[in-house]
Amino acid sequence: MSNESLKLEFKEHLINYLNLLDTTPEQINDDEALFGGDLGLDSIDSVELIVLLDREYGIKIKNPQEGRQILVDVNTIVAYIEANRTK
Amino acid sequence: MKRKVVVTGMGVISSLGNNLNENHQSLRNALSGIGKADFFESAYVATLPFAEINASDEQLRIKVPNAANPSYTRTTLIALHAVLEAIQDAQLTTEQLQSNRTAFISSSTVGGMCYTDSLYNDANDNGNPSPYVTSYEGSDHTVRIALYFGLTGYTDTINTACSSSANAIMQGMRLIQTGRADRVIVGGADCLAKYTVNGFNALRILSESPCKPFDQNRDGLTLGEAAAYLVLEAEECSIGKRKWAEVSGAGNANDAYHPSATSDDARGPVLAMTRALDNAGLRPDQIAYINAHGTGTENNDRTECVGFQRVFGTPPAFNSTKSYTGHTLGAAGSLEAVFTILSIANQEVYASLNCEHPQAEFAFQPARSHIQVLPIAHAMSNSFGFGGNCTSLIFSACS
Amino acid sequence: MFVKAAKAISPQYTLDDRFLNGEFVDEVSPVYRAIEPDYSPLIPAGLLRRMGKAVRIGIGAGLPLLQEAGKVDGIILGTANGGLEDCVKFLNQIVEYDEGVLTPTNFVQSTPNAVAGQLALMSENTGYNSTHVNGSLSFENSLIDAAMLLEEKQQATILVGAIEEFSQYNYTIDKHAGRFREIPVSNSQLTKRLEPGSICGEGSSMFIVSNDATDAQVEIIDVAQVTSEDEKEVEATLIDFLIRNQVPADEVKTVALGRNGDARTDHFYTAISNRLTSIESTICFKAYCGEYRTAAAFGLYTLFQLSKHPLLDWNGNQLHFIGNYALVYNHFDGIRHGYILVKKLR
Repeated sequence: MSNESLKLEFKEHLINYLNLLDTTPEQINDDEALFGGDLGLDSIDSVELIVLLDREYGIKIKNPQEGRQILVDVNTIVAYIEANRTK
Repeated sequence: MKRKVVVTGMGVISSLGNNLNENHQSLRNALSGIGKADFFESAYVATLPFAEINASDEQLRIKVPNAANPSYTRTTLIALHAVLEAIQDAQLTTEQLQSNRTAFISSSTVGGMCYTDSLYNDANDNGNPSPYVTSYEGSDHTVRIALYFGLTGYTDTINTACSSSANAIMQGMRLIQTGRADRVIVGGADCLAKYTVNGFNALRILSESPCKPFDQNRDGLTLGEAAAYLVLEAEECSIGKRKWAEVSGAGNANDAYHPSATSDDARGPVLAMTRALDNAGLRPDQIAYINAHGTGTENNDRTECVGFQRVFGTPPAFNSTKSYTGHTLGAAGSLEAVFTILSIANQEVYASLNCEHPQAEFAFQPARSHIQVLPIAHAMSNSFGFGGNCTSLIFSACS
Repeated sequence: MFVKAAKAISPQYTLDDRFLNGEFVDEVSPVYRAIEPDYSPLIPAGLLRRMGKAVRIGIGAGLPLLQEAGKVDGIILGTANGGLEDCVKFLNQIVEYDEGVLTPTNFVQSTPNAVAGQLALMSENTGYNSTHVNGSLSFENSLIDAAMLLEEKQQATILVGAIEEFSQYNYTIDKHAGRFREIPVSNSQLTKRLEPGSICGEGSSMFIVSNDATDAQVEIIDVAQVTSEDEKEVEATLIDFLIRNQVPADEVKTVALGRNGDARTDHFYTAISNRLTSIESTICFKAYCGEYRTAAAFGLYTLFQLSKHPLLDWNGNQLHFIGNYALVYNHFDGIRHGYILVKKLR
């Protein structure tokens, strides 16, 4: 899967898992901060994102602290998925 | 003038024992109830410690007379067990029990939904209905206990998450103070359930080792199960009885900060503690002991200590008895009220377990060994729950 | 305890004037579902995305009242089941992912006190906060809690209310337990054709209560309850309740009854009606809102509206609040019975 289509797929999962009403993938910029930015995500969302990575890409992140390094923006997450996915 | 409310009976079943005396002995001897669960069925039994009551459902069913009803859940069974002990301890007659001036206020978070798989099948219409199909309501155990004893008075069930049974005690106190009842049986029951275990696990706040309240390296809570009930009576109705303690004050506040975390400045806990002190007409320095909420999560224990600092400066002797019983959720408030009263009655503070390295940012730490002969005129018990619900109770020695 | 304001999200058009003007939803349906408003002016999208229906309808009716009332001293809610949809969604995750990695949002939202907690959070209210989950008596318990808080404080204002959501899951469970009918029936026919079972409804009814009578139309005098399957005891509780409050039975001329068309337990409503010998106005509120455990709150809502202007019944006749006193009487399964005594002030 190309980097661009993976980004699109991930954004769709993001909207679905976090139930981001009225948000389309196009509205999420690749370098937009997920936490503390316009999306307004919080600590519970970070746990939801960890579940997303596990269920969709087979990536296990042990604790939210570790997650904070990875869950910065779409670019960082997609790079991590490409390097670590098991499915 | 408000009516004085006294505690004349207590009943408890927890991982520390099946009655009040067994619980007391475990606390005195610093014996924790946390370990490997034998009866609870969950994938997490292999990897996480729990504080389980040492009895199967079948054993509980036999221990309680006339409890063969197949729709009685574990919540109902442990609640019945503790209510029976409390009633006997208070020497309530059948007539008193069935009077419409006697109220019953219970609480639970998992309530009738303790059998996750039965509920799954019944809710999703898989196969024939289970025996528990009429038992899933939060108040199921309350109704069954009311019918079991033939109670005709006021009943209530409270669910404010982890402060539920502290609020049941507060509610009972107010019913008596305002003249709506003369006696109130108050408390809570919660049993281990896949529902809560998986919920707290999803929030990443369960520790893989027994919880370490107030330790620098604490990493989450341990779940437990318990039922604890108290008989509260208006003082004028309790003549000639042993009075365990007076319920001298209570305060509730909402933290209004986050659905599942407490605020950095501890505004909810501070308001709950100061409202309880105001309600009891006491100054902070009159409190000799605090049974802390002390769950062992990073968030709670730090917030609670910030609250102690703001209310007390330096707090009096405190401990977390969750280091013995785990977090028993809806039962925690009343279980810890019973332990607080045992401390008052026996002039002792139980060692707070597993706190090897007290939090560095605070100049105070919990009681790390059993303190004997500490006169306790007034003691506080804290309970904080999801949804920002914070409650503090104050109990006083009866002269 | 004086009722200053009320708001309801219900299967009827209760958020605008249509309900008061007699424009009713009257459909043959297995479930009477709440008509929800557009929440976007009230709830930020970031919060709304997580809310289950119980939380949503609780905020939708409660938050506007809190905004109108200014500072309130307490938020006290009743709900038998809270966010059951979220609860079973989480449960389904547990079973379907075999206790694996689960998302926590459903768990947090399913706590019954999520509604009162969220209302406190959104209105930045650090006052008294409580949630009663005592089945079909949860609203009656909330009123007693509010009455005690008003007695304890000299001057206070409280948000008190009840919420129940429909979910396919609790519907399935309650249907197993024989509570709902096999054949759907319209609102207007619900209480006319007695059969085993009722029709499921849902809703949230919220009230601002105070110990200040200024501008109030309605006073809640007292609340009673009994747990009993014995009709005699249910009647005796009513008589005792009226005597305790020094209200002669023949002065209660208006009643809001929880009749739900269930042939098995309708006789309790008949018995209570017969005990009140001078009834001139009867409103059967579950025809509007369906059967759910905290529907008594909607019964009080109809009396509150009736104290201000007449309502229409299903035949287009006017219903009035007649006399000074009215009673809301409701039971669930014929086991738990609640009584709310109301006085019209002007």
